[in-house]
Amino acid sequence: MDTTSSLLLALLGDARLPSGGHTQSAGLEPALRAGTSSAQVPPYLRVRLRTVTRVEAGAAVVARAVAADGGDLAEVEAAWAARTPSQALRANGRRLGRGYLRVLQTLWPGPVDTSARTWSRPVVLGLLAHRAGMNAVDLARLVGYDDVQTVTAALLKLEPQDPLLIAAWVKDLLPDIDEMAAQVAHLHTTEQIPAQGAPLIERWAETHDTITERLFSA
Amino acid sequence: MRLGVAGPVGTGKSSLIATLCRALSGELRLGVITNDIYTDEDARFLKSAGVLEPERIRPVETGACPHTAIRDDVTANLLAAEDLEADFGSLDLVIIESGGDNLTATFSPALVDAQLFVLDVAGGGDVVRKGGPGIARADLLVINKTDLGPHVGVDVERMAREGREARRGGSVVALSQHDEASIRMLTGWVRDTLARYRTGDHTPVDPGPMAPHSHTGRDGEGGHPHTHADSAHDQAPAHAGPSA
Repeated sequence: MDTTSSLLLALLGDARLPSGGHTQSAGLEPALRAGTSSAQVPPYLRVRLRTVTRVEAGAAVVARAVAADGGDLAEVEAAWAARTPSQALRANGRRLGRGYLRVLQTLWPGPVDTSARTWSRPVVLGLLAHRAGMNAVDLARLVGYDDVQTVTAALLKLEPQDPLLIAAWVKDLLPDIDEMAAQVAHLHTTEQIPAQGAPLIERWAETHDTITERLFSA
Repeated sequence: MRLGVAGPVGTGKSSLIATLCRALSGELRLGVITNDIYTDEDARFLKSAGVLEPERIRPVETGACPHTAIRDDVTANLLAAEDLEADFGSLDLVIIESGGDNLTATFSPALVDAQLFVLDVAGGGDVVRKGGPGIARADLLVINKTDLGPHVGVDVERMAREGREARRGGSVVALSQHDEASIRMLTGWVRDTLARYRTGDHTPVDPGPMAPHSHTGRDGEGGHPHTHADSAHDQAPAHAGPSA
């Protein structure tokens, strides 16, 4: 299918989709704790779009292509894991994958591999996009948009301020999301999945996993 | 069966769960999930109480949304319950503690099969009269810390009676950790509810987001008290108009 219903993208990108998204800050809580200021959140988001989120979107796009060809999604999962060095981020990504697996199996039911419960969010999203008829560029957009909205929604919980100012940041980042999506939408094979890392984000995620006082899982 | 424990912060939800674990762990396979708002304090309290193996107690982060986690997006709690079952086989009773919040937070029937709502006498004897979905329509209302009544000037018997009135006769247990008879009433209710759940005689019910209220029609009639948990509400012709 060449075009995705814009309503499908809206449905999946909506924070009200019950997939457990409200437990997430996309690394913002530990970033603020480590001294990031709220004014630095837009550059923080651009860094994510060029690194960890790009990896996530690339893995999702490849998972969609592999699912469409009847290939082995466990290979995509392994490739994503190899590009996600933080154990805490891998565990969190797989928890999120289980949330989306519930969405997939209720909204677009069908047979899944028995190991699907251990797949990360991008792999499950790739399979979901294949089943739901969402094209590759919109799938990558969804991953980028969800990441940006997760960070900004968490910011309003952690350091409340004029929410429209924050919404304006999201609007200003839409071209960055489109640019990232265009860079990964054509990927088809596991070795093509980007491998950019963000060592500080990964280290903060590890620290966050060990503390006892936190609002968000990751 | 999954049992929700809700109620305002500081009313003794964690202690009540510790009491249930102490009394029931010999006869039932138990698991506990805590929904802390800021920390894993409740999970740590329960682990340190030594009433259950620490691996059977799981904290869930709620992203500052304790209502959401037990009502409109229960995903994180469902996954934690799945994990407990995957690690320990099927369990008889999984107790889910809500993040201590306020009078309005109750569990979705998509998450729990039964729920109890905890108040304490130290919060004031008038709290039951303030009402709310948990007080009025949880499967059980617990009025906790009754031993403190004389110290905080609360007439415990009156508070329990007003609780029963607010619930139109629904179950109320006046509980004190120092009163074995009251603990037996609580555990008896849990055993009884579990037995009815197993025979299919217990139906999970949403206490509803709103307290009982009435709509007054434009003609000034038809303002009968009801709740939106009443299925008849949506079908009542009197509400076909723009009253909502």
